[in-house]
Amino acid sequence: MQRRFFSFSMALLALSGVLSALGASAQQQVTLRVMTHNSFSLPKETLAQFEKKAGVKLQIVKGGSAGEMLNKLILTRNQPIADVVYGIDNTLLPRAQAAGIIDPYLGPAARRKAAAPMDDKADANGVSAGVVPVNYGYVTFNIDKAWFARQGLSLPASLQDLTRPAYNRLVVVQHPATSSAGQAFLLATISGLGEDAAFDWWARMRANGVKVAQGWSDAYYKDFSKNGGTRPIVVSYATSPAAEVFYSKEKIHTPPTANLFLTGAVFRQVEGVALLKGADPTAREAAMAFIEFMRSPAVQHDLQTSMWMYPAEAQAKRVDALQQHAQEPATFNSLPGTALHANARRWLHRWNTVVLK
Amino acid sequence: MLELRNIIKHFGPPQAAPLLIGISMAVPPGETTALLGASGSGKSTLLKIVAGIEQPDSGSVWFNGQDISLLPPEQRHFALMFQDFALFPHLNVQDNVAFGLIEKGLPKADARMQARAMLERFGLGNHALARTWTLSGGEQQRVALARALITQPRALLLDEPFSALDAALRERMRDEFKWHIAQAGMTAILVTHDETEARTMASHGWLLQNGRLSRRW
Amino acid sequence: MHKMRRASGCWSILFLRRWAPYMLALAPLLFVVVMLVAPTLRLVWEGIWGQDLAMGLSEEAGTGPAGNAWSIVLDPDLRWRMGWSLMQATATCLLALVLGVPLAWVLARWQFTGRELVLRLLMLPFVVPTLVAALGVLALWGPRGWLGAPLAAAGFELEETPWMLLYGNLFFNLCLLVRAGVQALEQVSSTRLAAARTLGATAWRAFWRIEWPVMVPWLASSLCLVFLYCFSGFGLALVLGGQRYATVEVEIYRLVAHELALAQASRLALWTMGLNTLAALAYAWVEQRLASPAHVTPLPRRQVTSLTQRCVLATVLLVLFMVSGAPLLAIVLRALLALANTNSMALLLNEETLSALQNTLVFSTLALCFSSLLGVLHALALHASEIAGWRKVAARTASFLPFAVSPVMMAFGLLLLYPQWSASLPVLLGAYALLAYPFVATALTAALDQLPASYTQAAATLGARPWRVFWRVTLPLISPALRRGASFAAATALGEFAVSLFLSRPEWTTLTTLIHQHLGRPGASHLDAAMLLSALLMLLTLGCFILIETHDRSVS
Repeated sequence: MQRRFFSFSMALLALSGVLSALGASAQQQVTLRVMTHNSFSLPKETLAQFEKKAGVKLQIVKGGSAGEMLNKLILTRNQPIADVVYGIDNTLLPRAQAAGIIDPYLGPAARRKAAAPMDDKADANGVSAGVVPVNYGYVTFNIDKAWFARQGLSLPASLQDLTRPAYNRLVVVQHPATSSAGQAFLLATISGLGEDAAFDWWARMRANGVKVAQGWSDAYYKDFSKNGGTRPIVVSYATSPAAEVFYSKEKIHTPPTANLFLTGAVFRQVEGVALLKGADPTAREAAMAFIEFMRSPAVQHDLQTSMWMYPAEAQAKRVDALQQHAQEPATFNSLPGTALHANARRWLHRWNTVVLK
Repeated sequence: MLELRNIIKHFGPPQAAPLLIGISMAVPPGETTALLGASGSGKSTLLKIVAGIEQPDSGSVWFNGQDISLLPPEQRHFALMFQDFALFPHLNVQDNVAFGLIEKGLPKADARMQARAMLERFGLGNHALARTWTLSGGEQQRVALARALITQPRALLLDEPFSALDAALRERMRDEFKWHIAQAGMTAILVTHDETEARTMASHGWLLQNGRLSRRW
Repeated sequence: MHKMRRASGCWSILFLRRWAPYMLALAPLLFVVVMLVAPTLRLVWEGIWGQDLAMGLSEEAGTGPAGNAWSIVLDPDLRWRMGWSLMQATATCLLALVLGVPLAWVLARWQFTGRELVLRLLMLPFVVPTLVAALGVLALWGPRGWLGAPLAAAGFELEETPWMLLYGNLFFNLCLLVRAGVQALEQVSSTRLAAARTLGATAWRAFWRIEWPVMVPWLASSLCLVFLYCFSGFGLALVLGGQRYATVEVEIYRLVAHELALAQASRLALWTMGLNTLAALAYAWVEQRLASPAHVTPLPRRQVTSLTQRCVLATVLLVLFMVSGAPLLAIVLRALLALANTNSMALLLNEETLSALQNTLVFSTLALCFSSLLGVLHALALHASEIAGWRKVAARTASFLPFAVSPVMMAFGLLLLYPQWSASLPVLLGAYALLAYPFVATALTAALDQLPASYTQAAATLGARPWRVFWRVTLPLISPALRRGASFAAATALGEFAVSLFLSRPEWTTLTTLIHQHLGRPGASHLDAAMLLSALLMLLTLGCFILIETHDRSVS
């Protein structure tokens, strides 16, 4: 029995060894490891085209939310687990920069002007700390038009309106620690109202029954009244109404939801792509090609309907869906990078205390 | 000729109470010597020192004029027999007996043949392939003796071999063993607390009392 | 001259023999120091002197060790987290006691068909990976669960409540308590009980005055273990605890993975480690006072005949099934459904899953071999060294060290201490082996203790050198225990989750981390995919369980 047990495990080990050897030998070409967050999505054909053109095999590693992904990169910076990263946004850039994991990119894409700069310290082309902007979006309120029509309630005109009893238990937001949309919204309120007034607003919202969901999907697909939940006001993206039209089963021409641009409640999120320090040198050329690829017309077109973001390339054409149903807000909030970096944890802590405890 | 010279052993670290105080004895070849004593007197320990399983705190063991104190047990060629028979449960009777032969380098088949022959001489031939625990106490001790004698040891050390058997069986075994040991012309040391047993089986007798040895017969 | 050379040869042999235990112990000891002691010390250091730089908690800058340690108590969030962790562990202990004692009594005192099977199956939850158990509870009571969905429709949402976590805790720990109770009751002397009855005590009084005192130390010992497991549990709390009811270990993980607040995480870890050590010491102390099994004539079991007896039996078995059996069944049913669902199958039939399966098998096998080797060396060293008394107890307790330092903290310590190797295969496998080898070591130590010394002595006098004695006599006789310990080790390696989460690279995703990934992505198909993978993992650990429980008849 003991002999059989040992020989069985030895056989298993040998088999696995052979399998991995076979697998390793099969991959003679370079593998480009791309680290992204879970929301990354591009059509398979577009990615396949890149693989063919650059002659590499793409290995897309989804590392969780953008914050988790960045943390993983920082923790493993001595032996990076990827060669190029997509998904570092303007709120995470200070952390990435401080950790020193970015290898600045100076190629053609960095020398073209972007429609949205990475942050306030970006150069004329929008590149900051070597991270090249790829797309941007706006975190803002979405409302369920049908619900409001049914209830006959007028739409709130400002953040302060939402604390009135008329809007009791109508809002769902996301937790800023686990959702980038939630964090963006929190930053918008702080930027729009000033820190103390913002937290005062949050305290009143707590009293007014605001619901906190773990992530955007929970909030949008479970709690939003359009999808069977109880809250008709949800923190989402400016492009979500356009997505509703795009994905609707019946052909509709007006979205069932709408953006609600309130002062102090619109945050611009700019996402970028960057090379990683200490990455595999044999993949460096492919990594640089990847950055160019992300700013290429094909991707700038595809990401509008696969990730529902606006393209950063200044000359990129907007697809119909976005043009018709996803107007960009006139104003938005943002915060200087240094303020973000110094206070992010403290604000999160304070938010936890004010809203949850 | 087996000799013990001035064996001293303590109950643990050297500062503890002494167990054996200056034991010296000579064991005549080809004869059985008995070592008598109450339980806890240290006679089993003395036997283990002779076998090489335990080391004395001081003193030496000599065999045929050579100091074997530093030899490990497997090189001393003394066979040890135990109160609980110490038959290996994972081997059948035949393989138990063949154990020592295989250690000597004999091929398995030959060893098994010799073991079978030995078992025949002990009247246990039809138990050759049986599991050790299916045998009675007396049969098990016979197998142990066969296992010991087949390796032609230079001396046979018996540590209270019959304590686990009932009284009637003990008498029979005494005679049987005496016959086998005499047949083999073996030098033997028998440790026991039973004086009758000692007098029946051994030609020389010593008493271990309060850590000291004294001659009885 | 010839004599002299012979003597010096003998000297070296004796020298080797004398120092053999220490040489045997060298490898395991070194391993434990490098993989456990050093990271733990580093963690302690970080907890006392570490600072969170560049993260922006300005009020923490500049406080010394005392301030650092105290900051945990001052922070209301962390106070709540710590308090809740203690509370849920205590609550589980109480629930297990209340449910487990009657169960144990029925199993110990009554005879019914299938009793042997039930006793054997009591060990099953022990080998089930925590993630599988968590998914089992979800499959049963979650918002889409077999029992949870109708409840949710009726308005009872179990999701953000503490009950799922407590249920999950009970899944593992009820059986532990029941086993202890049964073993305890078998120690009750029937003659004493009979004496009490003849002296006029009713059945209930007899129980309280004779049986209960015998049970108490056994129950106390297993309650210490239950407390330890619940307090330092990670997988269950991560999946079932939600935001509010997660335990300290989950908080440490979140602080490291989500917020990169390493210093604060270390401080929390320090407190947790302290509490764990207290619980472990309590366990060791109670174990010491546990009387060694005396040879008592146990009470004969009564056949179940009357209707009331049958009803009680049925209730008791139902409770046991609901707590420790139903979740597993729920996963299997859900997985079978998912097989028919094309969406979830599409999610699974890809390279990612295959690679995860391969990784799990390879890592587990490697960890198994390594931990078996370590366990053998450890047990041999302990056995060969003739230490006794408190030193022996200390050495034995030391082999339980990986339990006092939980997997999360060990992985975290490794991360802090060897950052350049934090995502390297040897460290990952080493961590696996460290967690798995105590099972082998303790099983073998017990077996070696029971091995009569006369066997090895007889073999030596028959001419076998020490290596031959080990190979021909010791090893075959301890191989059932080795197999048992190795199967536990294999089950541990298969279900390993916390370390893989901390230390792994994306290319080393195992089944457990893959399940966790699927859980993190929204959608019913992802949940179904997670269930399928859990069912697969459960099958693998079931294999280990069968290996553990089949009896080897060739050795008595």
